[in-house]
Amino acid sequence: MPNKKKTKKEAAAQKKSNALLLPLYLFTIIFVFAPLVYMIILSFLQKAEIWGVKNVFTLENYRRILEPLYLGTFTESLKLAFLSTAAIILIGYPYGYFMARMSERWKKRMMMLLMIPFWTSALIRLNGWIIVFRSNGVLDKLLMGLHLTDKPLKLLYSYEAVLVGMIYALLPFMILSVYSSAEKMDWSLVEAARDLGAGRVKAFVSVTLKMTLPGLLSGVILTFIPSMGLFFIADLLGGNKVVLVGNVIQEQLTKGRNLPFAAALSVVLMVLTSLIIAFYRRVAHTKELEGMFV
Amino acid sequence: MKNRKWIQKMLTLALAGTMLAGCGSTDNAANAEGEANKLEGTEFNLFTWDGMFPQEVLDGFEEKTGVKINYSNFDYDEDMLAKLEETKGGDYDFVIADDYILEMIKEENLYQALDTSKIKNWGNINPLYQGQFYDPEDEFTVPYGAGIPLIVYDPALVDIEIKGYGDLWDPSLEDNVALIANYRVIDGITLKTMGESFNTNDLDVIKAAGEKLKELAPNVRVINDNNTQDFLITGEVGAAFLYTSQVYEALSARDDLEVVYPEEGLGFGIMAGFIPSDAPNADAAYAFIDYLLEPEISAKCFEYIGYYCTTKAAEDYISEEMKPFLVVPDTVTEGESIQNISDEAEQLHSEIWNEFKNACD
Amino acid sequence: MKIKSKFPWIYIGIITVLTYVPIVLTVVYSFNESKITSVWEGFSLKWYEQLFQDSDLAEALRNSLILAFCSCLMAVLIGTTGALGMRSRKTKTSDVIAYLSLLPLMIPEIILGMVYMAAFSFLQLPFGMLTLVIAHTTFCVPYVFTTVRARLAGMDKSVEEAARDLGASDFRVFWDITLPAIMPAILSGVLLSFAMSFDDVVISIFVTGPTVNTLPIKIYTRMKTGVTPEINALATVLLAVTTGIILLSSLVGRRNKNK
Repeated sequence: MPNKKKTKKEAAAQKKSNALLLPLYLFTIIFVFAPLVYMIILSFLQKAEIWGVKNVFTLENYRRILEPLYLGTFTESLKLAFLSTAAIILIGYPYGYFMARMSERWKKRMMMLLMIPFWTSALIRLNGWIIVFRSNGVLDKLLMGLHLTDKPLKLLYSYEAVLVGMIYALLPFMILSVYSSAEKMDWSLVEAARDLGAGRVKAFVSVTLKMTLPGLLSGVILTFIPSMGLFFIADLLGGNKVVLVGNVIQEQLTKGRNLPFAAALSVVLMVLTSLIIAFYRRVAHTKELEGMFV
Repeated sequence: MKNRKWIQKMLTLALAGTMLAGCGSTDNAANAEGEANKLEGTEFNLFTWDGMFPQEVLDGFEEKTGVKINYSNFDYDEDMLAKLEETKGGDYDFVIADDYILEMIKEENLYQALDTSKIKNWGNINPLYQGQFYDPEDEFTVPYGAGIPLIVYDPALVDIEIKGYGDLWDPSLEDNVALIANYRVIDGITLKTMGESFNTNDLDVIKAAGEKLKELAPNVRVINDNNTQDFLITGEVGAAFLYTSQVYEALSARDDLEVVYPEEGLGFGIMAGFIPSDAPNADAAYAFIDYLLEPEISAKCFEYIGYYCTTKAAEDYISEEMKPFLVVPDTVTEGESIQNISDEAEQLHSEIWNEFKNACD
Repeated sequence: MKIKSKFPWIYIGIITVLTYVPIVLTVVYSFNESKITSVWEGFSLKWYEQLFQDSDLAEALRNSLILAFCSCLMAVLIGTTGALGMRSRKTKTSDVIAYLSLLPLMIPEIILGMVYMAAFSFLQLPFGMLTLVIAHTTFCVPYVFTTVRARLAGMDKSVEEAARDLGASDFRVFWDITLPAIMPAILSGVLLSFAMSFDDVVISIFVTGPTVNTLPIKIYTRMKTGVTPEINALATVLLAVTTGIILLSSLVGRRNKNK
């Protein structure tokens, strides 16, 4: 509390803001915080014989994560997340940037075009990619028609296919974040920099990139975090051969019936993502995720 | 909660009352009529995978009894177990699931014993499929479909003659095999190639199987539980290890495919239904079981799901073309079932499976 | 500043076309005779016939619409009031709550589903629409909350203060100035929440009860058993409807502007 004496007006405003905050506080505490605590507690308990947990404290679940198999899964997931995020930046940044420089009418149209795929089930869209990539599928036929290859390529069920799926599923998040950041930008600054003799590249780095950095970073977060857990992409396009943390968690919850171990894996995943967000706040000097779709 | 318990008590009392009345009645037909009337307007919560019944069978039951069916689905057997644990055997009236999970349902006391006197078609069940490991006394389950996972291959895409599981390791099959994604089954066939049981608790043996399984990795094109037969039908792979219904789908789509009954020994799996301990409308479940066991209805169901027919009386109603797939010799149950094993062994299975998958990509 | 060179247009064009490839194929293959999704066997309308007779899917669609509507409404109420409340006050607690409210987006869905199932059963809530709405609200709130908060942060307070100094009531200030200013943010939050809720399988499958099926659950479980062409037909119909609504609303918007 500031040491200043509060005026009446301020006290009233405080009361009002308290009332406004109440629903969010209550909801978050009951339905987000409490389940979260429950999950953390679970991660320190022992698995029961058939289902559920025994109330015995153990660190075994965390020790097990340190086994090469699971550590390997974490590094593998991180690697894929880095790769897909990098590719998404390369594709999505120019897209969002160009979009922000369009006329108002085209901005609206592009927004619509971006949103429509969002409204189709993700599973159905993935199925569309399977039609493209499968043996003797659309792409194979196209390539063979152009005589670029003479036999069906085995494109599906590979690491590359999973990468394409990830990029496809998460690209819109990056585009929209960069767009909303670039849209607020003052373009006259870029012109000023150019007028002052800065080259294209220099103007871009010192002005444009700097000003769109928050959007870019929030795009990174919105794509990096989900790409660690999207297990169904690895299942459908990777033919189950690419194992991500999300897949292991899913398997432990179902076939393994091991709630505590799944909880421990989730806690580690959450700590990792929280570290990334903390890093973002430090770099972007901001507390909010910039831009999400404003 | 108090309220709910009170209602439950009332319901139990009412139920006991009708049961007594039922016992007293000698006229079976009239009794059945009365049952149907009593069910009119109630809801029946059916819980199993999607696609387990043809729509006309469900519609027929609704029409006959006036009961509204709520057909909800789970993804894995374990999801079902979790849901029943959380609702303490409530919410659902009839559940169909795999054999091994039924053993856990039994241990967790989430079932209610069947009163077979209420099921007039009880005798229609093929006794071959009763007395299974999960329910040796036929206390709480009704079998609904059985199967043996088999190898199917496309001779045009495969250079060797496949005779058993071991042939899947043949180097000529590089990047040419599709597998179902059930690790106990796939680890299991690896154990079989080593002459071991699916259900061994010997950790060293399982570890050795893990090493052997890794050698299969170069041959594996895709691991998938759903529509695995499509990879074979479309020529994505030359050989596949499939569930029974998938074997049936594959063979009916392409008659040039070959089925292999692996020489190392067969696996055997069965699905069965039960009434959860605290089912809100158990009466409807009884009526539904009875309905499913009617020969004609049963025949329609098995023709639709493509698993081996577990209702003896239905065999005559299955069409001639489908009979070879659905009505199989009695030796089928000689195959080994996958059963629950020790926690350490189960965990090791999951680990060797993940190592195998890592080796695949 | 307008775009002068052609390159950006070509670039955006290519990427946009690529994102539509799977959707176009889904539409095309919904007219496919074959039951196997990936093999073309000839033109047929039979999947549409089946779709329109499928009462299960119709009910699931209705449930999903109700669910998405209710959770968006809840998310707007909770998210917007929360963002407004935090605007005039920044404390450690509000920081923590803001961070916590984002967590549902960071935890893998499957564990969230499992944890909610346990939590709801602990709270003795009956599994069904109520539990679905609560669970969906948890992941819809962050979208609305963050968008509104970002918009408020960029807003000039002086207009509101001026209005207040001129004697406008709090409600009037909110209604006439603040609300119109944050409306685009609320709307985009809602659009996204709606899409997310309408697409959620994993959490729903855990927290739903015996009588409520949602559309994504049905789609998912059907895809597992392989009746996909009907699902493609359904996707096509939904796509046509949403595109229709979007086009219509933009037409209406334009006409209003012209008046």
